[in-house]
Amino acid sequence: MRVIVRTVSELCITVGTLIVLFVVYVLFWTGVKADTEMDRQVDLLQDQWARQPVRPTAGPGTTASPKPPAPYKDAKPFALMYIPRLGFTWNKPVLEGTRSSTLKKGLGHYANTAQLGQKGNFAVAGHRRTYGDPFKDFPKLRAGDAVVLTDGAHWYTYVIDKGPYRTLPTDVQVIDPVPKKSGYTRAGRYLTLTTCDPEWGHSHRLIVWGHLESTKPVESGKPGALRR
Amino acid sequence: MYGWIWRHLPGNVWVRALLSIVLTLAVVYVLFQYVFPWAEPLLPFNDVTVNDQ
Repeated sequence: MRVIVRTVSELCITVGTLIVLFVVYVLFWTGVKADTEMDRQVDLLQDQWARQPVRPTAGPGTTASPKPPAPYKDAKPFALMYIPRLGFTWNKPVLEGTRSSTLKKGLGHYANTAQLGQKGNFAVAGHRRTYGDPFKDFPKLRAGDAVVLTDGAHWYTYVIDKGPYRTLPTDVQVIDPVPKKSGYTRAGRYLTLTTCDPEWGHSHRLIVWGHLESTKPVESGKPGALRR
Repeated sequence: MYGWIWRHLPGNVWVRALLSIVLTLAVVYVLFQYVFPWAEPLLPFNDVTVNDQ
């Protein structure tokens, strides 16, 4: 009898410890891992950009948008995103693809959507919670907020027009070239950000939409939205 | 269970205590490195895209 009671209590303590450890892992350790990994991705990008040959700046008067970049490599970083609303120092690498292994290293660009600054919809997904909580403050985003991206050659400033819009995970139309619910009617250069809702759940998604406001070469300095 | 492990560890009390700590750390390492990364995707926090389901 005593042996049974003792074994059962030991099992309960063990299971309890396991659960506590798992919570520590999910809440804390995934964040530590993701921050290290995101820093590494940013370093990769900086290295890549440092090795890039300096492209001659277009002569004065040419306002044509930059040429379409080469196709992005799957699971590799290609841009940095800044959202001043989420914090002045908030910046995250954007990687190609939205597999869960990719989203552990940064934000993920939906592979079948437009490239940065190009015609169509540039759609990006990110974790709301765990793995560094990149989109924790997603509901604070408002129309008029700037979302600035750089691919090492240009600064792209998008301005949010609508959001956060709550929808179902099956609503793939939100990343269409002209998303129906966004209020856009004509083709253009758009941005869509997606994350999960509620904060710790997965029953819904939160969406914001924006349009490309300006594009400028990196040599001309940071865009206004990133200046204090 | 823990009593059984304690009885089967070699050495005096101090050696046993040291071995217990090492064993505990090994278990935590295996959990964080292999078991939890496997179990974590079963939770809903990974679903942030609109085309997964």
